[in-house]
Amino acid sequence: MISGEPAPAGLVCRDLVVAPGGRVVLRRLALQIPAGTRTVVVGPSGAGKTTLLRAIAGLERPLEGEIWLRGRRLDTVAAHRRRVAVVFQEPRLLPHLDVVDNVAFGLRAAGVPRPARRAQALALLDEVGLAGLAGRRVDGLSGGEQQRVALARALCVKPDLLLLDEPLASVDPNRREGLRHLLVELQQARALTTLLITHDQSEAAQLGERVALLLEGTIVQHDTPRALFERPASAAVARFFGTRNLLRGQVRGGRLPLDAGWIDAPGPDGEATLAIRPERVRLDPDGPLRLRVVAASYAGTHVRLDLHGHGLTLEAHVPPAAAPRVGELVGVTLPRADLWRLPDPGSQAAERDLAERSTAGPADVPAEPAPLP
Amino acid sequence: MTIPTKRPRLPPAALHRSDRPAVRRLPIAVMLAPAVIALVLLFGGGLAGAVRQSLHPTIDGAGPLDLSAWTAVLGDPTFADALWFSLRTALAATGLSAAAAVAIAVALRRQAALPRFLVALPVPVPHLLVATVAVAWLGPGGLAERALGALPIQLVRDRAGLGIVLVYLYKETPFLVLLLLASMGAELTRREEAAAVLGATGWQRLRWVVWPTIRAPLATGSLIVAAFVLGAFEVPMAVGPSYPPTLATYAAEQPQLDLVAGQAKAAAALLVAAAASIALAAAAVRLSRDRAPCLSVAGLALCLRPVGLSTVGAGA
Amino acid sequence: MTATALAALFAAPLAVLPVQAVADAWRAPALLPQRLGARGLHAAITGQAGSALGNSLAVAAATTALALLLGWPAARALGGRRLRCLTPVLVLLAMPLLVPAYATGTGLAEWFVRLGLSGGRLGLVLAHLTVVLPYVVLILATGFGERLQELEEMARTVGLGTPRRLALVTLPTVRPTLAAAGLLGFLVSWSQYGLSLAVGSGLPMLPLVLLPFIRSDPQIAAALALLFLAPALATLAIAARASRHQR
Repeated sequence: MISGEPAPAGLVCRDLVVAPGGRVVLRRLALQIPAGTRTVVVGPSGAGKTTLLRAIAGLERPLEGEIWLRGRRLDTVAAHRRRVAVVFQEPRLLPHLDVVDNVAFGLRAAGVPRPARRAQALALLDEVGLAGLAGRRVDGLSGGEQQRVALARALCVKPDLLLLDEPLASVDPNRREGLRHLLVELQQARALTTLLITHDQSEAAQLGERVALLLEGTIVQHDTPRALFERPASAAVARFFGTRNLLRGQVRGGRLPLDAGWIDAPGPDGEATLAIRPERVRLDPDGPLRLRVVAASYAGTHVRLDLHGHGLTLEAHVPPAAAPRVGELVGVTLPRADLWRLPDPGSQAAERDLAERSTAGPADVPAEPAPLP
Repeated sequence: MTIPTKRPRLPPAALHRSDRPAVRRLPIAVMLAPAVIALVLLFGGGLAGAVRQSLHPTIDGAGPLDLSAWTAVLGDPTFADALWFSLRTALAATGLSAAAAVAIAVALRRQAALPRFLVALPVPVPHLLVATVAVAWLGPGGLAERALGALPIQLVRDRAGLGIVLVYLYKETPFLVLLLLASMGAELTRREEAAAVLGATGWQRLRWVVWPTIRAPLATGSLIVAAFVLGAFEVPMAVGPSYPPTLATYAAEQPQLDLVAGQAKAAAALLVAAAASIALAAAAVRLSRDRAPCLSVAGLALCLRPVGLSTVGAGA
Repeated sequence: MTATALAALFAAPLAVLPVQAVADAWRAPALLPQRLGARGLHAAITGQAGSALGNSLAVAAATTALALLLGWPAARALGGRRLRCLTPVLVLLAMPLLVPAYATGTGLAEWFVRLGLSGGRLGLVLAHLTVVLPYVVLILATGFGERLQELEEMARTVGLGTPRRLALVTLPTVRPTLAAAGLLGFLVSWSQYGLSLAVGSGLPMLPLVLLPFIRSDPQIAAALALLFLAPALATLAIAARASRHQR
């Protein structure tokens, strides 16, 4: 799926097969991360995200495949020599050392003398905003503070690659914003190649310059966050990012006939699956479709409607003020511009498309305007 | 906009907490009473009886308080030898067991449950049984001597007390291994992984991550073992030398040696051993309390020498 | 690999016992017995040795039962974490285990003579209780943790009264810990030497009978040792099955 040459300064995983505890989790996984960028690997629990992180860090040995970093082969090297730093889901600090000694641990292992490593550690504690906590014992700190110490500890060794496993998971929801900003700031200041893992798709979108979706052991799409939400490569990708509205049929002459009516459809004639985000489904009394509201639930920022009719099921998110009542018959428009035609699986065009996107540079802003719901 | 929903009907049993009368629980004192009273009476009575005996050096234990038994014992060179011998043996047994336990625990820490279970095999075996086997193998005319021709050093009933040390080494090392393994759980593995990724080699991880984790339980466990070996009784009788005796063996000899004050002297000697054991145990408790302010009952149960099972705590 | 080596290292020496027990004649320097016979086994189950076996069994069983009875409420209190000052209780439980048992026994001996308990099984049960009770309480307490409390609360909300709750929820949950505490208590009493010597005033108990034979007659000693080993082996077998069940 990816062309052969390893990116000179970034991370390249090729044909990775990893089977922790005997069960194959990663199946010929391929991933490329350009140097200095921030990529988020997202996916449901059990998909293999943590396994991927552990394989890159050296805590799990792959059965097959290669891992390259900055032109060096990584998977044949022991974990402690890989120059990869990890911030785990739990802080994993050493309780018998104080905060500064924890941060300086990597330097101590490298043989840096005490005054020098303490100075570097203190500087990093300052950067993560914990300057006053230098001499404190670790178990008195809050979860968020401990995670910052873990982050400082990882950065202190000046790694070539930074891996983070659900870094915001153990932090209070109202403190996540602060830690998220800190992560982005620190990464950008160092132009550090960074790979983050999360199962939350909106967190992925906020944290990553690119996002890779890991499903059932392989990367199914690696793109800008926007593309994953609005231009998913498959039905599975669409579902993960919140699009359950999938319409199948034969497009003829720019239109897709449905039992409930016909709609304008993009793309050439032929078999097609169209996806549309629930926020883009428009209630329109003059719309071509007539559907009944079967369920409605208030979700704070919007009302979620389940619309049924003529064998069709659609999910729509509408502003609360404009929400119809359950049982009402409503007109629905699916604007052509908001319909995304899923690429045919296995089609050459789709593969080329994805390949191009995966090796592309940092995010480029798409041309279409995106009306917010 | 109204969303019609059906209000769920609660089953009658699930009443709100505040509607029920407060659950009447027995006061803690009542619950502890049977065990506490039994122990205070029996153990306290035992200690008190020993003290009383030591202060009445007469055949029937009557008469005024008399410290002569104490002075006799404390001045007895045999007692001094016995005290020194007991301390030496305890130190040697504890030191060797601790070293062996660390090596085994570090080697076993990532293994599955089966190896740990196998290591625990000696734990329920009675000490006297180990002594019997030791004599069969290592004694004069024993199997080791027959197989090798002659043993380079005397291992059983030797003046250095090697036989005693070996028996306790066999029995106490698994106990210490189990104690250490209990503290080397998943959390330690996670920390070791973090250290490895930060660049620490295997040896550095042992020194800076594993050792700080096990040194506290090791110290506590070692003090417990030392306290226990100090009071050694049947093992020295089986595999120990006739001279010097251990404190307990010395005490057992006294009633025959001195028909009048023998019982009192025995009691005095035993109280010295008891005091030494208590002092060591107090040090152990102080040590473990520093590390863990809320002593887990399970942890202490393991700490206090389960003669049995690695499935202890299965119900916790 | 290390594991099997360790296991062999620890278990193999015991293999000499069965051989020695049936060796009517086994003179040096032979590595195998010259003549096999049942003399050792016969001596081990008749006469004084036989009654020692019976006494040890009876005393251990009775002590364990009594310890479980007395220790159950204390274990509940400890396990339920209802105590704020845990230390004095733990100290009281720990002391009898660390102070030499012979010391405790010597002190008790006099009282027991006065009470007429000396040389009888009841006296031995009470004496053994000093070391068995702490172990039983500590082990049992581990089974009365939060999980059991949650289950009992659930049972209460569903409407079960105390006796039914005990039968349907508490006992089944606590059963493995109860078994562990019982087996352990039994072993502690079974192996006990110092207390039996001090308080028993000659009443034959298995370890007391065994010791002199170690020097005087290895064959009988080995036979007795095998009997002595039996409960430990049973315990290991039970523990093995229990941990296999758990997986």
